[in-house]
Amino acid sequence: MLSLGIAARFLRKSPVQSILIAAGIAVGIGVQVFLGSLITSLQASLVDQTIGSSPQLIVRAEEDGDPVVFDAALKQAMESQPEITTVVPTRAFSAIFRQGAESAPLQFTGGGLAELDTVYDISGRLVAGTAVLGDGDVLIGKDFADSFALKPGDTAGFVLPNGKPAELTVSGVYDFGSAAANSATAFVDGAYAATVLGLEPDQYSAIDAQVSDVFASKDVATALQADSALKDLKVTEWQEANADLLSALQSQSSSSYMIQFFVLVAVALGIASTLAISAVQKTRQIGILKAMGMGDRQSGRIFFWQALILGVSGAAVGVGAGLGLIALFSFLGRNSTSLFPITPQVGFVAISFAVGILVAVGSSLIPSRRTSKLDPIEVIQGG
Amino acid sequence: MAETLVNAEGIGKTYGTVVKTVALQEVPFELQGGEFASLIGQSGSGKSTMLNLIGLLDTPSTGRVVLNGHDTTAASRRQRAALRNDFIGFVFQFHYLLPEFSVLENVLMPGRIAGVAPGDLVPRAEETLALLGLEGLEKKNANDLSGGQKQRVAIARALMNRPALVLADEPTGNLDTVNTKAVYKLFREINEELGTAFLIVTHDRSVAQQTDRILEIQDGHLLQDVRNEYLAPA
Repeated sequence: MLSLGIAARFLRKSPVQSILIAAGIAVGIGVQVFLGSLITSLQASLVDQTIGSSPQLIVRAEEDGDPVVFDAALKQAMESQPEITTVVPTRAFSAIFRQGAESAPLQFTGGGLAELDTVYDISGRLVAGTAVLGDGDVLIGKDFADSFALKPGDTAGFVLPNGKPAELTVSGVYDFGSAAANSATAFVDGAYAATVLGLEPDQYSAIDAQVSDVFASKDVATALQADSALKDLKVTEWQEANADLLSALQSQSSSSYMIQFFVLVAVALGIASTLAISAVQKTRQIGILKAMGMGDRQSGRIFFWQALILGVSGAAVGVGAGLGLIALFSFLGRNSTSLFPITPQVGFVAISFAVGILVAVGSSLIPSRRTSKLDPIEVIQGG
Repeated sequence: MAETLVNAEGIGKTYGTVVKTVALQEVPFELQGGEFASLIGQSGSGKSTMLNLIGLLDTPSTGRVVLNGHDTTAASRRQRAALRNDFIGFVFQFHYLLPEFSVLENVLMPGRIAGVAPGDLVPRAEETLALLGLEGLEKKNANDLSGGQKQRVAIARALMNRPALVLADEPTGNLDTVNTKAVYKLFREINEELGTAFLIVTHDRSVAQQTDRILEIQDGHLLQDVRNEYLAPA
């Protein structure tokens, strides 16, 4: 490993140049790690906010308004899909809230609180009252509660779909982080919803489900639809209804990739030019080594090793700097509700590290080639 | 009788393709093992070109070089590099020491290029440095030496692989008279102690007078090749 030893010595004897190249790589990889994690986390946060607390898959009857019979076959068909993490049968209806001369429509979802929590996490998002859903209880959103000055323990009057009046007691107020959800949704007990809708105990408006990988919902929906247990039922998934969000996420990814790509190109050009200058500076040394019998390949490897050492050290520092920036971002935003949490992706960080090394090694091609082609006579004659 | 170390059959060198410059014209040359010879001529006469051809640093336009029985005509760059490492030590007018390395590391370099572990080379390197009077300087950086010391380190490096032939191109061109005398004295001692053949390129006739054989080049032609029977006192 003579070429490795020479490479290391060349680097050590030009510390400023070596540090500058490694710093260039570190900046590139640091930006890569931070930006990549930022965009990934931002997207995850957006997706979570949009659909994290709502069903990503919904099974309904083919005919609108018909009930879905949630029997053992359907339960088995849904739970056998490995991507499906939660299956919750729900009963949904609309009702009009009335308070004096004021009124507002509300979309009710009925079910057991424990099951509803697996999708909506109502208990976890409660801002007032208690997470209880007994007969005659209702859980309402924060914006709705604020609009009509409702608080836990208050009684709210509604006009049900069948035109009959009903009074429900506000047991708790939740905040889903979305004005639409906070002002237009409400949750009641499943049995109460069945009474309102006139459904049998095994009949539901829809079967909600969540999946482990939200972007796999399309494939899961296709697989479910093909199952005989879902005959006369239709499966819808969130991506159909959120084409705009998907397109925005895709555009965001593309622009992020573009930025990362050009940062890496700039880093590669920087390393290549500095190594090329270094190769010129070391021409005399390489020439005499060749005169002494060093082969073309061995001499070419000197710059490969230099690039590898710089790449590994620069990328390592870059990964550290990127993770440090993420930690700083998280620290500064620890008390802010408008900032989202950035989670470093291990796989992405590993890829960035590898990319840093590859870019550095790739940048050594020109100086390595130049060095292997160098004829010792050029140096000897040049003095 | 010593074996033929170098057999150059009518080697010539022409530079350029459009405008051709003939640097050396079909020079015949043979060197036996252990010989102590010099190559003299005016500046631009072709003596360095001839040295470069014999040292496999350059390829002849005509003729061929047979080094220690190896015909180098069709040898690849890699093979030529290996032959240089095995059989030849170079000493140039400029020392060409690697400034990033210590004296010892510089001397070890030809052995390391040959693939020998540094640990196995150190005793020989130290012995060679001692032979050149450089004891105690092993750990010094090559840049911290005087001109004469640098050139002696370069000679030690040339001798590291115990080459059969040392090619020296104006080796004392950058040295003062005292150091010049010391270097040629060393060359002679090494020649006698190790049996290393020397071919020394010089434009200084008084230097050539100290060698056993003098070859004179003029305008790319071999003018004379004589045994020196009137050696000047060293």
